[in-house]
Amino acid sequence: MKVLAAGVVPLLLVLHWKHGAGSPLPITPVNATCATRHPCHSNLMNQIRNQLAQLNGSANALFILYYTAQGEPFPNNLDKLCGPNVTDFPPFHANGTEKTRLVELYRIIAYLGASLGNITRDQKVLNPNALSLHSKLNATADIMRGLLSNVLCRLCNKYHVAHVDVAYGPDTSGKDVFQKKKLGCQLLGKYKQVIAVVAQAF
Amino acid sequence: MALFSVFQTTFLLALLSLRTYQSEVLSEPLPWAPESLRVFINSTHQCLHLQWSVHNLAHHQELKMVFQIEISRIKTSNVIWVENYSTTVKWNQVLHWSWESKLPLECAKHFIRMRSAVDDAKTPKQSFWSNWSSWEEVHVQNSLGHDPFFVFPKDKLVEEGSNVTICYVSRSQQNNISCYLEGVRMQGEQLEPNVSVFNLNHVAFIRETGTNIYCKGDQGDSIKGIVLFVSKVLEEPKDFSCETQDLTTLNCTWDPRSDTGLLKQLSQSYTLFESFSGKKTLCKHKSWCSWEVAPESQEMYNFTLTAENYLRKRSVHLLFNLTHRVHPMAPFSVLFTDVSATNATMTWKVHSTGNYYTLLCQVELYGEGEVIQHNVSVEVDGKQLFGGLEPDTEYRAQVRCANANHFWKWSEWTRQNFTTTEAAPSEAPDVWRNVKSVQGHSVVTLFWKPLSKLQANGKILFYNIVIENLDRSSISRLLSIPAPANGTELNLDQCLYQIHVTANNSVGTSPASVIIVSGDPGNKEVEEERVKGMEDGFSLSWKPQPGNVTGYIVEWCDHPRGPLCDLQWKSVGPTTTSTVVSSDAFRPGVQYNFRIYGISTERVPYLLEKKTGYSQELAPSDNPQVVMSNLTSRSFTLSWKDYSTESQPSFIQGYHVYLKSKAGQCHSGSEKAVLSDDAVCCKYKIDNPKQKTFVVENLQPESFYEFLVTPYTSVGEGPHGAFTKVTTPDEYSPILIRIILPMVFCILLIMIICYLKSQWMKEKCYPDIPDPYKSSVLSLIKSKENPRLTIMSIKDCVPDSIEVLNKQEGTRKSLTETESSKATYLYLLPTDKSYSGPGPCICFENFTYNQAASDSASCGHVPVAPVAPPSQLGLLTSPENLLKALEKNYMNSLGEIPAGETNLNYVSQLASATSGDKFSLPTNPPEPALCSEYKMQMAIPLGLASPPSSGSSSLSSVTLLDEGEHYH
Repeated sequence: MKVLAAGVVPLLLVLHWKHGAGSPLPITPVNATCATRHPCHSNLMNQIRNQLAQLNGSANALFILYYTAQGEPFPNNLDKLCGPNVTDFPPFHANGTEKTRLVELYRIIAYLGASLGNITRDQKVLNPNALSLHSKLNATADIMRGLLSNVLCRLCNKYHVAHVDVAYGPDTSGKDVFQKKKLGCQLLGKYKQVIAVVAQAF
Repeated sequence: MALFSVFQTTFLLALLSLRTYQSEVLSEPLPWAPESLRVFINSTHQCLHLQWSVHNLAHHQELKMVFQIEISRIKTSNVIWVENYSTTVKWNQVLHWSWESKLPLECAKHFIRMRSAVDDAKTPKQSFWSNWSSWEEVHVQNSLGHDPFFVFPKDKLVEEGSNVTICYVSRSQQNNISCYLEGVRMQGEQLEPNVSVFNLNHVAFIRETGTNIYCKGDQGDSIKGIVLFVSKVLEEPKDFSCETQDLTTLNCTWDPRSDTGLLKQLSQSYTLFESFSGKKTLCKHKSWCSWEVAPESQEMYNFTLTAENYLRKRSVHLLFNLTHRVHPMAPFSVLFTDVSATNATMTWKVHSTGNYYTLLCQVELYGEGEVIQHNVSVEVDGKQLFGGLEPDTEYRAQVRCANANHFWKWSEWTRQNFTTTEAAPSEAPDVWRNVKSVQGHSVVTLFWKPLSKLQANGKILFYNIVIENLDRSSISRLLSIPAPANGTELNLDQCLYQIHVTANNSVGTSPASVIIVSGDPGNKEVEEERVKGMEDGFSLSWKPQPGNVTGYIVEWCDHPRGPLCDLQWKSVGPTTTSTVVSSDAFRPGVQYNFRIYGISTERVPYLLEKKTGYSQELAPSDNPQVVMSNLTSRSFTLSWKDYSTESQPSFIQGYHVYLKSKAGQCHSGSEKAVLSDDAVCCKYKIDNPKQKTFVVENLQPESFYEFLVTPYTSVGEGPHGAFTKVTTPDEYSPILIRIILPMVFCILLIMIICYLKSQWMKEKCYPDIPDPYKSSVLSLIKSKENPRLTIMSIKDCVPDSIEVLNKQEGTRKSLTETESSKATYLYLLPTDKSYSGPGPCICFENFTYNQAASDSASCGHVPVAPVAPPSQLGLLTSPENLLKALEKNYMNSLGEIPAGETNLNYVSQLASATSGDKFSLPTNPPEPALCSEYKMQMAIPLGLASPPSSGSSSLSSVTLLDEGEHYH
C-alpha cells in the first residue's frame, strides 16, 4: 500500500501539474477579479459625465439625420415609425445608488453599442451615399466604446464589479429593408430619449 | 313512327352502354400516375416549387409523359393556371416543376393538383389521363405574426417597366387601410375580405436605394411598409469589337450602356466566351476585356459577350479572322534627313506584326496652309521624300499605318516638325521715295516695304542701298541699313541719282529695286480733285499718259493728321489707270490726300494728279471761333479767319450765320429758321467756304442780339451750340465818347503832374512858412495889388518903446549858480494898442535866449513867451555877462545875417504874434518845424549855456520851473 501511495501520488501530481501548481499562492488583492488592461483615469466620473453630455448633445442630430435619410414615410410619421417602442431595452433608475446606476448604464451602453453596430452596417448598404449619417453613427459608436470602458473601470475600481450581464437588441440581418429602417429609427428614438435621462442622472 | 322510336331507343341504349364502358376504363388508375406530390414555397421569388415522382416504372425504363398541373387561388374552383409539362421519366426519378406567382404568395391561398398521361409511342395507352392528385394547399398567412396587418412582397426586385402586384393582409376584416407609393395613395381592389391588392403597372426607376411603399390603418396605430427595388433594364452591349495590335493579345471593347446596379443587385457582369476554343473569361472591366491569342495558329474567332444581372442576360456575338482585325501601333523614330531649302527626307519605323504583313502608311505634310498627302507601303522602315518646299518654313509631318492586305483601322498618328533652310530673297523690295528741297539740297527719304515670308526666304538681316550719281557716273555710295528698318534719309545735291535697294539674308541678296531721284521733287502744281470714299476704300482713276510709262504709283498718308504721316504707296502696272486704295487705318471724318505718279521709262517719277477725299464724311463737330468787331448801333462784323477748313471731318461747303433778335424780323439776305429748341432766328448763308468774314447789318440801336456761325457740309452743319450775345449801342454814345475821353485824359494828366510836383507847388503856392521874398505868387500880388499888405518893409518897423524891468528873485536858484542875480526882462510893446495882426511886426534882437534851450531841435522854432524864464535867464543875469555877449553879438537890425551861423538859436516871432495872449506861455506849443528860413537873433557861446535837456525844450523849461511860479 505504501508502495502504491509512494508511486501513484507523485504520478498523479505530475499528471495534474500546471503552471503555479506547487508554487506559493500569490496574495489575492481585493479586486483580483477586476482586471483592466489600462489604468483607469483619475477623474473617471467626470469623464463619464462629459461623455454622456457629448452623446446627449449629438443624439438629436443623429436621429434627424437618420430618419431624413430613410425617405418617406419616416420624416412625417415619427411617432408611428420611430417611436421609442423598444421592449427589451435595459432599464435605468435615476434614483438608484451610483453603483446601480453605473451597472444600468453599462447595460444600456452595451445594448446601444451593439444596436448602433447593426444600424451602421445596414445603412452602409441601404444608404451608401448618406456619408454624414455614416460619420455620425461612427462617431457615436466611438464615444460609446470609450464610455463603456470608463464605466467598467469605475465599476471595477470602486465597486469591484467585474462582470455585468448584458442583453442585446434584435439582429436585423434577416429583416426586410423596411423593417431594418424602422428598427433603426426606433432604436435611435429610444437612444435620444434615454441618453437625456442618463446624462441628467450623472 | 314506331320504327323511328325503336331506332332511337336502341341508339340511346348503345350510347349509354358505351359511356358506361368508358367510365369504367377511365376510372381505372393509371399505372404511372404522379405520386408523392409536395409543394415548396419560395417567398422571395414568389415561386411554388413542385416535387413528385412516378412509381411503377420498370427498372431502366424511360417513358415520355405529360403532366397536367392545375393551380387555383383562394378556392379550388378558381383555377388560375393550367400547364402541361412534358418530360421523360426514368425509374425512381423525382420530378420538379416551378411556377412564379404574380401575386405574392402571402396574399392568398393556393391549391395545386396534377395528373399525368403517357406520351410515348411505345405505349399503346397513351391518350388517357390519370386521376387528379388531391389538392395541395399552400397557405403562407398561417406563418405570419400577430401584427394588425402585413404588406407584401418584401424587398421585391423588378425591372423598370414591369408590372408589380402588392397586397396587404389584415388580421381584421374591418380595417380600413390605405397604401402609398412615394407619398401618393394607391387605389387597390379587394381580393378577400381582409386582403387588398394594388397593381402597379410599368413601374419606373426612381433611385438606387429603392422605393418605400407603406400602408397605414385608419386607427393610425401602425405603419407597415416594404421597399420595392426597380432596376434599369439590362441592355445589350453595343459596339462590341475585338482587335489586336501585336497578334498576341486581343482587346475587345463594347459600350456597356446603363448600369443596372442596385442595393439588391450588383452591376451587370460581362463574360466573354470563344466557341472555337471553348474558353471563357469573366471580364474585370465594364467596357473592355483582354483575350490571350492562342499560341497555335487559330485565325477564326467566334466570341459571345454576355451581360448578366440578377434578372436578365444579354448576349452579342462576333465572328472574325484575326488577321483582319490588326490595328497597328503608331510608327516611331520619325526623323528628317537631308533637309534643304526646298527638299527633305522623312524616315520612320513600324512595330513588327509578323513576317507576312505589309503595312500601308499614310504621310501628311502640313505647311503654309496646305496639306500634301502620300501613301507608302512599308514592311519595316518607311521613307518619304518631300520636294518643292518653301525655304525657311516650318512643316509638320505625320504618319500612320494600317494593314495593307486587310484594312481594319489606321494606327495613331505620329507627328514631327521640321524647318527648311533659308534661301536668297526672291523678290526686290518695293521702294518709294519722298523728296524735299532744303537750302539747295535734296532730302530724299527712301521707304521700302518688308518682303513677305515667301519673298524673303529667310530672315532679312539688312538692306543695301547703292547711290549712283548719273551726272557723274564714277561716284557711287553704298549704305547698309540693318533690318527691320523700312526706310532711310539721304542728303543729295541737285544731281540725278539712281538708287538701288536690295534685301539681304544670311544666304544671299535679293534682286535690286531701282529708283531715279533728281533734285526736282516732281511736285508740279496740279489741280486737286475730290474723290468720294467707299466702304472698302477709295476708288481712284487717272488719265492714261500719252508717253511710255513703266507704271504708276499712288501715294498717301495713313495718318495725315499725325506728326508722322505714315507714308503709304501702291504700285500698279503701266496699263492700269485706276485702282482701289484701301487701308485699315482709314477712319471716317479724316481727309486723305492722294498723289498719283507716273514712272517714266527712265524710272523717274513725276506727279500726275492729286486727289483728296474722306472715306466717310461726318458732320462738323466744332464751330469756328468767331471774333466780333466794328460794333455800331446798326451793324457789327464777324470774323473766323483762324478756322481751318482742311482739318474738318468733311468738305466745308459754306457757313450759316444765325441771328436771334427780339424783333424776330429778318431782312433781305436772310431767311427765317427754326432751331431745334423751337427758337426762331434769321439765317444768313455763305456759299463760299473761303469767306470767313461777315457783316451783320440792319440792326436796331440799343438792341440785344445773339448770333452763331456754323459750317455746313454735305452731311449736315455744325452743332447749334451756345450763341454769342451782343447789344448794339445807341447812336450818340460814340460822339460822347469822343469828347469825354480826351477831357478825362487831360484831367488825369494834370492831376498826375500836380501829384508829382506837389512839393514844388506847395513851395510855390502855399509854403508852411511863407517867405515873402521867395513867394512869386505874393510877389505877383504885390506887384499888381497892394505891396504894403504883403511884404513888410524895414522902414515900416518903428519900435515904439522898450521897457526893461529888473526884478529881484531871491528865492530862485539857477542850475549852474546857487543864487541867481536879478533877471533882466525885455518887453517889446507896440505903441499901437490896437494892433493885432501880423502886418506891423516888431523887430528886435533878443538877448534872453541861449543856444542850449533850443538844441533839441536844431532848426526848430520854439515859440516862447516874449519873456524868458528866470532860470534860463540866470546865465545872463549879471550885467557883465550880458555886456560881453552884447559885445560879441551886437544887436542887429532886421537886415541880412551872414550865413554860416546856423548853430545859433532864435525865437520865433510869428508864434508870439499869432498868439491870442502874447504875454502868456503857450500851453501847447507847436512842434518844431524843419528848415526855417529865419535867422538866429542872438548867438550865445556854448560854454555859457546850461546843459540841454534830453526832452523837448518846452518840457525842460517846465521842469526847471519851481511850482508856484508863473508868468505874466
